Parts: sequence; C-alpha cells; structure tokens
Amino acid sequence: MLKTLALEPLHGYGIGQRIEQVSSGVFKVTLGSLYPALQRLEKDGLVEAEWKASENGRRARYYRLTAAGRRRLSVEQKEWERVSAAITRILKAT
Amino acid sequence: MLRRLWKWLLELARPERIDREAREELAQHLELAVAEKVRAGLSPGEARRQARLDLGNPEETHEQLRDGRAGASIDALAKDAAYALRVLARRPAFTAACLLTVALGVGASTALFAVVDAVVLRPLPLPDPVSLVRIYDENAVRGVERAGITTGNLVDWRRQARCFRGLAGFYTMGRTLTVGGESEVVLAAQVTEDFFPLLGVEPALGRAPTAEETRIALFDTAAAPVSPDPVVVLSDALWRRRFGSDPAVVGQTVVVERRPMRVIGVMPSRFTLPAADAQLFLPWGQSERPPRDQHYVVGVGRLAAGTTREQGEAELRAVAGALAREHPQTNEGWSVRLVPLRDDVVGDTRAALVVLLLAVALVLVVACANVALLSLARGLERLPEAALRQALGASRRRLLRQFLLEPLLTSAGGGALGALLAAASLALLQRRGASLPRLDEVSLGPPELAFAFAATLAAALVSGLPAAFRLARAQPAAGVVDATSRIAGPGRGRRLRDLLVVAEVATAVVLVAGASLLVRSYQRLSAVDPGFEPRGVLVAPVFLDMQGYGGGRSRVYYQQLIERLRALPGVEAAGAATALPTSPLGPDFERPVWAEGAPESEHALRAAWVRMITPDYFRTLGLRMVAGRAFDDTDGEKAPRRVILSDGLAQRLYPGESAVGRRLVVDYSTNGTYPYDVVGVVNDVRFSGPRAEPRQEIYLPHAQRPYLVMNVAVRSSQDPRYLAPAVRQVLRELDPAKPAHGLYDLAELASATYARDRQLAQLLAGFAAVAVLLALVGVHGVLSHRVRERTREIGVRLALGAGEAQLVRWVASAGLRLVLPGLALGVAAAALLRPVVAGVLFGTSALDPLALVAVAALPFLALAVSLHPARRAARTDVAEVLRAG
Repeated sequence: MLKTLALEPLHGYGIGQRIEQVSSGVFKVTLGSLYPALQRLEKDGLVEAEWKASENGRRARYYRLTAAGRRRLSVEQKEWERVSAAITRILKAT
Repeated sequence: MLRRLWKWLLELARPERIDREAREELAQHLELAVAEKVRAGLSPGEARRQARLDLGNPEETHEQLRDGRAGASIDALAKDAAYALRVLARRPAFTAACLLTVALGVGASTALFAVVDAVVLRPLPLPDPVSLVRIYDENAVRGVERAGITTGNLVDWRRQARCFRGLAGFYTMGRTLTVGGESEVVLAAQVTEDFFPLLGVEPALGRAPTAEETRIALFDTAAAPVSPDPVVVLSDALWRRRFGSDPAVVGQTVVVERRPMRVIGVMPSRFTLPAADAQLFLPWGQSERPPRDQHYVVGVGRLAAGTTREQGEAELRAVAGALAREHPQTNEGWSVRLVPLRDDVVGDTRAALVVLLLAVALVLVVACANVALLSLARGLERLPEAALRQALGASRRRLLRQFLLEPLLTSAGGGALGALLAAASLALLQRRGASLPRLDEVSLGPPELAFAFAATLAAALVSGLPAAFRLARAQPAAGVVDATSRIAGPGRGRRLRDLLVVAEVATAVVLVAGASLLVRSYQRLSAVDPGFEPRGVLVAPVFLDMQGYGGGRSRVYYQQLIERLRALPGVEAAGAATALPTSPLGPDFERPVWAEGAPESEHALRAAWVRMITPDYFRTLGLRMVAGRAFDDTDGEKAPRRVILSDGLAQRLYPGESAVGRRLVVDYSTNGTYPYDVVGVVNDVRFSGPRAEPRQEIYLPHAQRPYLVMNVAVRSSQDPRYLAPAVRQVLRELDPAKPAHGLYDLAELASATYARDRQLAQLLAGFAAVAVLLALVGVHGVLSHRVRERTREIGVRLALGAGEAQLVRWVASAGLRLVLPGLALGVAAAALLRPVVAGVLFGTSALDPLALVAVAALPFLALAVSLHPARRAARTDVAEVLRAG
C-alpha cells in the first residue's frame, strides 16, 4: 500500500484499483481490509490524509506518503527482497 | 509529533465530524466502484450488487474504523463506568459495605502515616537539621548514661572544640510573669549566648538578644553583674494569649520575677524545639566561674560542615578527658555522648508508631481480603451475566475492565471518604493533645495524599482482581447452565477464596499475638509498685524568687503554706518536696555521697539524688518508713544536720547493718562536704515511672536547707481536683504574685509515664478484634458458599443416609482446614515480627500464656462460626434437591 502511494497521492478507491491492477487481480481489496489499514498507517504517521477536489470535481480524501512512510517503505522493500530471494534460492535448490 | 497530537485532540474533540467523513469516504469508494462497473456495461442495480460483493459491507467497516479511532477507548470507558455505577447503585448494601471498609482502612492508615511522617520521617523544622545534636554528660563509673551538661564545662568546650559551629545550653524554669497587674507562672528557658544563632531561627518579630546582652545576668542569683536593661523574647503562644498578637509588644515592658524587662522579640509559631513548651526566652548570663558539677543544662550543638557526629563526639570526649584530669574533684569519670537532635526529640515514639502503622496495614489487608471475598461471592451470581456478554462478543479485556471498574469506583469513593476521615481524626488528635512529640507538625500534605491514593489503589486491586479475573474467564457455556447448581470441583475460584481466608486468619493471628503481648506488657507496667500512692494527691509547683524569698525567707513561706493547706476541709496531709516522683518540674540533682569513715577511693563511687522535703511529705505521698523516723518539727534550723536515705542506697552504703544512727557525707564540691545524721530509711520510689529502676535518694529537711522551688502536694480523702479552688485561694492569700504553675492530679502524672503503653495496647487490641471479626466473617462466608455450591451433593448424601452429625463434621473440618494453616502461618509471621514489637514491650516473653490462649481461641471461634453453615447443610431438603437435579 505504501508502494502505491510512492508515486503520487491517491484516494482510497485509487489505492484499491492500483493494487488490483498491479497484481493483475491476484489481490482483491475490500473496504474492510483497506480502510482500517489506512487508519493504522495514519495513526503510525506513515501516511497523511487531506480532503481535496478529485478528478471528477468532487471532494475526496487523498492519502500521501510522509517522510517516515518513505523510509519505512525502503526498509520493508529491502527486507522483502532479502527474504524472497532467500526463499527463491531454497525453492530452486531442491 | 506535535501535529499528530493536535490531530488526536481534534479527533477527540469532534467525534461526529470524523464519523461523517469516514461515512462519506466509504460511500464514495462504493460509488466509484459502481460507476466503473456501469461503464463496463452492467445495469446500475447489478453493478451495485457486485460492488458490494467485492468490497464487503461498508457499515461493518465503518464500525471497525470507529473502534480504531482515537478516544474510542475513552468512550467505552465512560460507558463502562456508567454501567458500573448503575450496578453498584442496584446493590446499595454491598456497595456501602465495600465503601466503608475501604474508607476505614484508608482513613486509619493515612492518619497514622501522617503521624509517622511528621514525627519520624520529616526532618526537624530548623535550618540544616542534620547537623544538630543533643549533648549529654555520662559517667561510666557511676553508671549515669544521660545527664545534663554543666555551664562550667560548656565554656571550655566552646573554647577548645573545633568540630562545632556552635555549642549552647539552656534550662527551663517556672518564672512569674506579671502583665497588667496579673501574675502567672510560665515556663521560661534561660539560654546561653549562642542559642539562637546556633539553631538558625530568627524571631518573627523584633530580634534575638545580642551576645553582649546575654553575658549579663538577669537575676542576682548568679555572681555575674546584673543587667541594667534586661531583655526578654516571647514565644508565639504567649504573645497570642497574653498580648492578643499585638505587634507593638516589641519595646514594651513586662515584669518577670519582680524585674521589669523589655520585650525585644517574638519567636515564630513553629519554633518549639528543642526548648519544648518554653513561653519565655531569657538570656542567661554566666558567673565568672560557672559550676562544673551541676548537671542540669540541656546541651545542644551544631556540627561544622563535613563533620560527623562521631568526630564531634570524639573531640568533645578528648576535651572532657583533659578537664577530668584538670578538675578531678568535679569532673572525675565524666564524659559526653552526642545524640542526633531528631532522635532525641522523637525518642522511643518511633518503635510504637512503627508497630501501629504495621498493625493498621494488616487490618487494611484483612479488610480488603474480605471485600475480595464478598466480590467473589457476588461475582458468582454474575457469572451468567459475564457469560452472556462474552457470548455477545465482549472481549475478555473488556470484561476484565468492566469488572475491575466496579471495585475501583467503590475504592475511589472509599479512599476519598478515608482521606476526610484521616483529616478529621488528625484534627481530633491534635485537639486532644496526645502524648506525642512534634504533634503540631502533623498535617495532610502531598506525601500523605500520595499514601492515601496508593492505599486506595492497593485496596481496589486486592479487593477487585480476584473476582474480575474469575468473571473474565467465564465460559459462555456457563451462562446456559445455572452456575450454582453444578457440583463444584476444586476449581480455581475456590482455591483463591481459601487462600484469601487463610491469609486473613494468619493476619488476624499476627495482630492477636501482638495485641496480647502489648496488653500483657501494660498489665505488668501498671502492676509495678511505684513506691508511693499517687491517687488522691493534688500537686502544685510553686516558684519563689530570690529577691522576695532569698536568705531563708522561703522556709517561712512554705511552713505557712503547708499549715494553711492542712487546715483545709478534706485535706488529710500536706507536704512539699523540691521534686516529686513523675512530676516534671522542679530542681533535681545528684551529689556524691559516702558513709562517714569510708576510704577515699569509695567517695566518687556513689551519687544520690537530693530532695528537700517538709515534715509531712512521706505521709502525703504514701511512702513507708523502713527504719527510723520521718522528719518532724524538731529537725529545724538549729538542729544538727539530718538525712533520710532511700532503702536501696542504705543497703548499698551500709550492707547488712542498720543505717539509722550512722553518719552520711554529702559532697557539695565547691561548697564543701558535710556530714549528716541518718535518722530514717524510707522505701524506694520509681521516680520516673514504672519502666525506670528506682533511684538512690537522700532526703533533707527543707527547714535546714531552704529551697525556692517546691512541689507542694496535698492528699485528699476524695477526688483531689475538688481541692483545686481552695488551694489556689490559699496561694493567692499568701502572695498574689506567686500563683502555682498549674495544679496537677498526681495519679494522672503517674499514669502519663506509661500512657503511651496503654494507648498502644488499646489500639492494637481494637485492631486485633476487628481483624478477628473480619476473618471470622470470611470463614463463615466461604463455608456458607461451599455449602450452597454443594447443595446437590449434600442432598444426595442425605438421601444415601448420611446423618446430621456427619454433615456438621464435614463443614467443621472444612473450616478447620482453613483456620489451621492460617494459624500456623500467623504464628510463624508473628515470631518473625517480634523484634518490631520488642522495643515497646516491658518484661514480656515471647511465649506469653495470654498470647497463647488468645491465639488458641481462634480455632474454637472458627468452629463456632462454622456451625451456622453446617446447620444449613443439614437442613437441606432432600426431596427438593433431587427433584431439581
């Protein structure tokens, strides 16, 4: 989710769409998983939210990555790469 | 960080806006998804259905968000608290019981803590109090541990000691103060020149006497030149009482002992130490050669920065050693001892207070345990409720919180009530003027409130946690089956209850053991024969002055006074002595004595306390002659010097033979040595109360050695206090300028020497009784509960032919199984705690029969208490139980 916000601020629907697109529909995003997660991220200070006019001219809540969020993203990314590389190696080895 | 805090506050402040926005956001999301699907060619209805399917229920998500929001927990807490209050209000009796228990416990312990804090913990209200010491003279050869210092030695100490910033002395004495023509005797402290600077206390009004003013004598008793302009400092209490707090008093003239004196200052109100109770402060001029052998001066010193008490003591001892070599006649064997001033002021109160505080804490523990038991029993009734709430989705944490809130709320109420109770009891204590040092410093400050808070919290946790855990663990299934009808196994709830009761019994045993030791100790104290009969005696300390009554004129005054007092109706005998047993005022000093003809090596061995008495003194106080005769009118001015010895002294000086007819030498050091004819031996007297060993005393006829200060005693056939107006009248007729320094009932003075033991014993007995009562209530509660739990089992047993006796035995043995481990535990704990109590005991052994009987009575009491539930068990209606099963 942090990754989807790395490019530009998005509203909730946008984040859901982006995740579905990028994962080619592997991940389905429901309201129940998306918004509580966003609330947690906001509480932890990793994302910020503000009301802005959306592309269709209506008010929407946009989420933006904070500096702390960016730092966390790179840490998590590196960690994931390390773990997945290790798993890949294990799977290949056998 | 700040921004986040701001946001959090914002969310807290406007929950409805956050709510609305979240709803809007969710609705929008759904709409966008629907729009997307419509664009892909679905009908609006179908698109909405599929979007809902994909995304889930927005209402549910909304709920989830609300729970995660800031302040959500506070909301829930407020709701829980409101619920808890409703629950408590529905059970007023239970709530009141819990509330009162906590209030009593917290109130009593907080009040006691306030006393302990003021008396023992807080430093003295003087600048840099740690460096202040009290100085005593001691004499190992004569077995004197603590005597006053002498002005003669003080001069040398001040000249030679380097470890002190200051050394000073004072003594207190009744002085007649005349203001506006009205005389009264007040306690005056005569202070040496360093006294005020040493303590570091300035008068609140005016100034302290200068060193110059102090060097000049006020009265012509001392050989120093008499001041042409004598000055005096008032205590705050005197200033308020006699001068109506008038600040213009500074500069006014008052009359002290017929001499006009200028008031130069008023001490601050909190200044009471170390010259406790003194109302006047007079500079004390010293003669050219002050005496080295009159140990009546209270010595105080302030150690120099970085100097320890040990260093100061070592230095003064070295100086004292040198003085003893230089002046062997007066200083032989005399050394010094330094005691921290605070320890000196607090004295033996510390041990008593520690015992009390411990006792109160124990009662608090028992009280809390009982509340816990009550709550557990109540909790069982609420098991279905807990189960139902759990079934409806309440988390265990939420339930725990809910069930903890109730005891927290009752305890908070109880704690607040307890704080009020503490404040009230402290006010009462101060008004009653209990026999405590530093009582005026007792207050409810931040440490006391912190203590009350901690005690309240502890009470809430101890009383609430067991039941709360039990309820939070409730299984949803338990709600379906009626919890009380099941045959209970040895569940954890039951073990917890048993443990609580065992702890209660053990605590009660500790208190009973302690209380019986103290009661016993008090009984022994009051059984000690003081050697005189204090009942029926009225005491009037009279202070005559040198100017009016010097040169033997006091002899005439006292002869007339005694004669007139004896003539009063209801008076059986009247007499006077320089110092009376257990009466705190009056000159009291020791002199070396020896049998005439004894080798010189024995001269310094023994000292006796010297008392001047009038002929009828022994009869008035109820002393018995052991041999010889008492003084009479033949022992006058012209007669040979005569003396009467105390029995102990006579036996030591003349072992195995009669002292009567022998001659005794009394050493007045610089004033010479004089032989006296021994005319009688009188029984020993416990001069300072039953704890102290009898002193060795000699009695001289006042007619032969007149003194200005005498304690006049009158024996009455009825309550001596009825005589007070008549005695006052006689004093007024003889000399209106010389009223008595108060009138005292000797019986009260005597019992005051061990009043603290009585109060302590009473309080502890009260605490022990409360603890036993609470423990018995606990035993009863647990047993009744167990009987109720096992109604079915009992019914079955009865149906199978179990007799009533069997059932009673069953319940009673269950009771004993609770009491006996508690008893063992309590006895062990009491043994461990014994050293704490030992300090306040008077000749009591650990294996006191009374203590043993009191402790052994507990199981029987428990048995008696278990009879009630046992009977109920036996009355179980078999048919009903079986039908219900």
